[in-house]
Amino acid sequence: MGCCYSFCKDDGSQQGGEANERTHLLADPVGSNTSIPRVHSDDYVNQYQNSAPKRTDEQSALNRILHETAANIIDVGALDSHNLEQHEYIERSRTYIKRIETSGIRVPDLSFCLLKDIPAPEKVLASATLNPVDKDLIMNFLHNSVLALENVQVEHKEDLVVPFLS
Amino acid sequence: MNILCNFFDFIPKELKKFLQGLLSRVDGLHSILITDRDGVPAVHVANEKAPDLAMRASFLSTFGMATDQGSKLGLGKNNTIICMYSSYQIVQMNKLPLVVSFIASHDCNTGHILDLEKRIDPVLNQLKNAVADA
Repeated sequence: MGCCYSFCKDDGSQQGGEANERTHLLADPVGSNTSIPRVHSDDYVNQYQNSAPKRTDEQSALNRILHETAANIIDVGALDSHNLEQHEYIERSRTYIKRIETSGIRVPDLSFCLLKDIPAPEKVLASATLNPVDKDLIMNFLHNSVLALENVQVEHKEDLVVPFLS
Repeated sequence: MNILCNFFDFIPKELKKFLQGLLSRVDGLHSILITDRDGVPAVHVANEKAPDLAMRASFLSTFGMATDQGSKLGLGKNNTIICMYSSYQIVQMNKLPLVVSFIASHDCNTGHILDLEKRIDPVLNQLKNAVADA
């Protein structure tokens, strides 16, 4: 009864100000300001023409924010792989091969290495360096060989020109 | 997989030879796969050392999702993911709608694999048309 009284009292004093069955649950600035619009029917049309894009703008802005947020979230749960059906896999692969066959792909020239006679030059070039002991040995041999060559002397004990018929 | 191997016999010889050439250029590289983002191969070459598990669609398709999530870390678009395993390394490149996967031994020179990108790019541009509408 008290509720009913207070309802009637409030209804009389400040109509539309208090919460009642007609009050919107969500605060709506547009709805609260337009209690009884005293306008002509033409104005109604104009009003709806103006408000409809506003609503869609707001909706699209919210959608945009939603999409942007969804796109920026790092969703580890989405990493679960979905396995393709075997037939779908084969079918798709077959389609790709057919398309590749028909498209006629041009292949670039692969001769980009100057050392054509060595199949994997990086393997040779990146191989371990020579052992220093081996290097010393080789250098010693080489040095001795050079010395030996320098010391080669011709000792002639006989005449260079020999008469055949004496 | 055997059925697919038969399919790949019909891949244009020049294309296969080209990829085989790239494969032999890098010491320790076992396989090159050009797939869509679901791991369905358009072209692939492999030698006998390539592990079967790494060439399955279920393995290759994880890159598509990982690269999407990796691009959200604030460092720009993710281009390449390199995974090192005890015996193998997998280098996957984001060339969407295509994904290029290189499977190599763990001690293969990763820089050499990455260098193949510029060799393979001209072919990819042509292959994209084949995959885009399928």
